Amino acid sequence: MCIMGKPLNKAFENLGKGGYGGVWAPLFCRSGSLLHEQVMDAGEAWRIALEEASATLPLAREDIDLLRDFGELLGKSDRDMQQAVLAMEKEKVSVMERKAKEEAETTGKLYRNLGALLGAAAVILLI
Amino acid sequence: MDKASHLYALDRLRSYLPDRINRVVGRMASEEAAGLEELRINAGMPLMGVFSGFDRFIAEDGSLTGRSEKAFYVSREEVEELFYRLCEHSVYAYQDDIARGFLTLKGGYRAGICGKAIYQGQVLKGFKDISSVCIRIPRELKGCAEPIFPFVKAGRHDIYNTLILSPPRCGKTTLLRDLCRIISTGSERADFAGVRTVIVDERSEIAACYRGVPQNDCGPRTDVLDGCRKAEGIEMALRALSPAVIVVDELGTGQDAENIKMAWNAGVRIVATAHAYDIGDLKERLGFGILIGMGGFERYIVLGMRNGKRWIKVTDAYGNQLYTDQAAGLHDGVFRLHGHGAEIFREAESQAACAAEVQGHPSVPGE
Repeated sequence: MCIMGKPLNKAFENLGKGGYGGVWAPLFCRSGSLLHEQVMDAGEAWRIALEEASATLPLAREDIDLLRDFGELLGKSDRDMQQAVLAMEKEKVSVMERKAKEEAETTGKLYRNLGALLGAAAVILLI
Repeated sequence: MDKASHLYALDRLRSYLPDRINRVVGRMASEEAAGLEELRINAGMPLMGVFSGFDRFIAEDGSLTGRSEKAFYVSREEVEELFYRLCEHSVYAYQDDIARGFLTLKGGYRAGICGKAIYQGQVLKGFKDISSVCIRIPRELKGCAEPIFPFVKAGRHDIYNTLILSPPRCGKTTLLRDLCRIISTGSERADFAGVRTVIVDERSEIAACYRGVPQNDCGPRTDVLDGCRKAEGIEMALRALSPAVIVVDELGTGQDAENIKMAWNAGVRIVATAHAYDIGDLKERLGFGILIGMGGFERYIVLGMRNGKRWIKVTDAYGNQLYTDQAAGLHDGVFRLHGHGAEIFREAESQAACAAEVQGHPSVPGE
């Protein structure tokens, strides 16, 4: 069995540059480079990169906060603990994803109704 | 390693240190910094430097002091921060090293770690609540084995099975590393073509691999089995790496002796070290008799120190002395041939612990 056990800065870089990161690629790249400079811990590097990228990411404040908290636990424990942390965070993200979908549906319905109403109003005005 | 190289190594090390400690080390006078061999960083304790044969506390202004109350004190948080920095903020990536009690860093530094041990069943899994870190600054002495290499060489493509003996901290591993470098690289001077070499580096001290890359020059034909136990490493090397020479450090058990025999049966030469004052000392150990005498090691390199002066001798399997460098001692001895002048004087002095251990033993060859 081979364990790569890459340090976070390398792992982030790989995610950022390897084409796995999608819209998150710049966030991973930035975190990796901040960490590489060794002047801050993983949580701080992640937080700074996240703050910098938040304007360009399609996320609510609540999502940003969740991701920031996740950074605090990175790299500070052994493999088992890291896996447990990642599993927990994954769980949290899926809950948020579910909520976002529900919200999108509700808001989507509202916009659809609003669209119909505005359409009707326009027709009335034009008649 | 000359003064400039050592200071460069220290500068690289400083990038790992938390800010306050970094500043204190940066304030040390360059003469003193050049002699720094170990930095001992304990939570709630004074910062300590180990120099050539002595240790001193380091004060906030970088000066050395023997009085702890004048020293710079390290906080628990700083030790923790240092630990995370040494692990590149990725504890999981280093957890196997941590379980062994040390980390090998880029540049070949070795950081010993102390803290509360965590066991999983009978297996030491790691440490938590890190209480101290001891960073050893590496000293690679290229060329130190050149004077003795002609006595180790058996032909243009062959060497003798060689065992290096000495008490702790007399330079066994340094000599072994340089022998390995010459065996792998080859030597025009000694008319030796380099041969394939495998290092079974159980304690990561010979090659000092950092993420798979040897930080010390061990030669271009060298493969390193880093952190691998000798028994498994020798077997793996024989099976998969087709070496002409296997290099191992610190033989100590009867099992090691069996593994060496196995390599010999496969036609592979062995260069190894062992803690011993002389051949007789090693012979008495359980299981080691089979390695000594006829059919055993063919060359013995014995290192020692008397009155702060090093000596070295090379003998064959029959005890015939082939080479010795003892009369002139330290300044004019084998370490002169490193070509590092006063640096070597310090290097040798630094291992004064060795002299204490040699006391009471026949410390000069032939005595």
